[in-house]
Amino acid sequence: MNRIFNSAEIPFIRLSKFLAEAPKKVNPKLSSEEKIGYYNRKIGDALLDDFWTSSVFNDFLCKATGLKPKFRKSSHISYSSGDYSLLHMDESESNRLLVMYDLTKKWRHEWGGYDLYTSPDKDPLVCNRDFGSLMIVKLNPGDLSCTRYVSLKAQSSAHIDWIVYDLD
Amino acid sequence: MRKVEKISTAKDFPYPHIIVKNFLDDSTLDLVVDALAGLEYDFKESDLFSYWASVELTDIDHPAINILRDDLGDELWRNKVAEAFSSKPLSSIDMAAYVYGLGDFLLPHDDQVEERIIAYSLHLTPEITEEMGGALQIFDVDENNKSKLVDSIIPEYNSLIMFEVSKHSWHQVGEILQDIQRLTVTGWYHR
Repeated sequence: MNRIFNSAEIPFIRLSKFLAEAPKKVNPKLSSEEKIGYYNRKIGDALLDDFWTSSVFNDFLCKATGLKPKFRKSSHISYSSGDYSLLHMDESESNRLLVMYDLTKKWRHEWGGYDLYTSPDKDPLVCNRDFGSLMIVKLNPGDLSCTRYVSLKAQSSAHIDWIVYDLD
Repeated sequence: MRKVEKISTAKDFPYPHIIVKNFLDDSTLDLVVDALAGLEYDFKESDLFSYWASVELTDIDHPAINILRDDLGDELWRNKVAEAFSSKPLSSIDMAAYVYGLGDFLLPHDDQVEERIIAYSLHLTPEITEEMGGALQIFDVDENNKSKLVDSIIPEYNSLIMFEVSKHSWHQVGEILQDIQRLTVTGWYHR
């Protein structure tokens, strides 16, 4: 897994059906979060916060990436029709590992809502919505991420547990 | 040629903006729309937008586009625009055509780039309705960067919308919801 992670220009690994049993009900308590020109979305506590902060998951991350990530924060983020986040919200970020656990059900690609990662002089990395998948991405300072605008025609919301780990 | 020679007083809230109706006379309007339909458009996409854009129209030598460039940017009109906005003299314009099709959009932004004083867009698609999308939406933004939609301007054919560029001039083009082509000539008056 370590070799797969480091094989791409922007190091990443994506694992479908990561958990044997994904949460059946996704009904977190969320509040609106807006900073015009940066993002418009809903945010709350990560559904699986205990797991993301556990030593079991941290050990897994170390083996999968060959890195030593240190937990920073976790959230549950939801994007509904009209919501988005833009790349420059990451402009002041440092070396980090982003982990996204996708809890989006019944999504259509044409609604947008996919995650995008960019790095100077490298091809961008696109991650479509896929219920139950775990995405791990290593980003350096100057690397940016965002979630594509969600169409007003979207009939459901994208839901992600979003976790950031700092890297030395 | 311009059909209108007077500019009404700018609305002040949430930032100075003006709508000028019936900007071009009918014959110029037809020639301009034909000329724009004959241009090549490139698809442009980023986290902020999705639309089709022409080349910079100030670089094109075409009779109808030359007339349009003068109508939007001659000294007489620039002086009227400066007076309407109580701004310093305006020296020049840039100009490009944009087409928004089904699913296209332009997310909230304030247009602030050095030397841009007044933004403008000339709307050239007839009979756009609210249900089609593509409204020019303007926002009032508080000190915490929270926005409130103040006006959703459905672009009327042959109307020229202008606003003063500042840290307050937040606006977006709403997503196009039906199979239409929302055509504008858009640019900025510069210092």
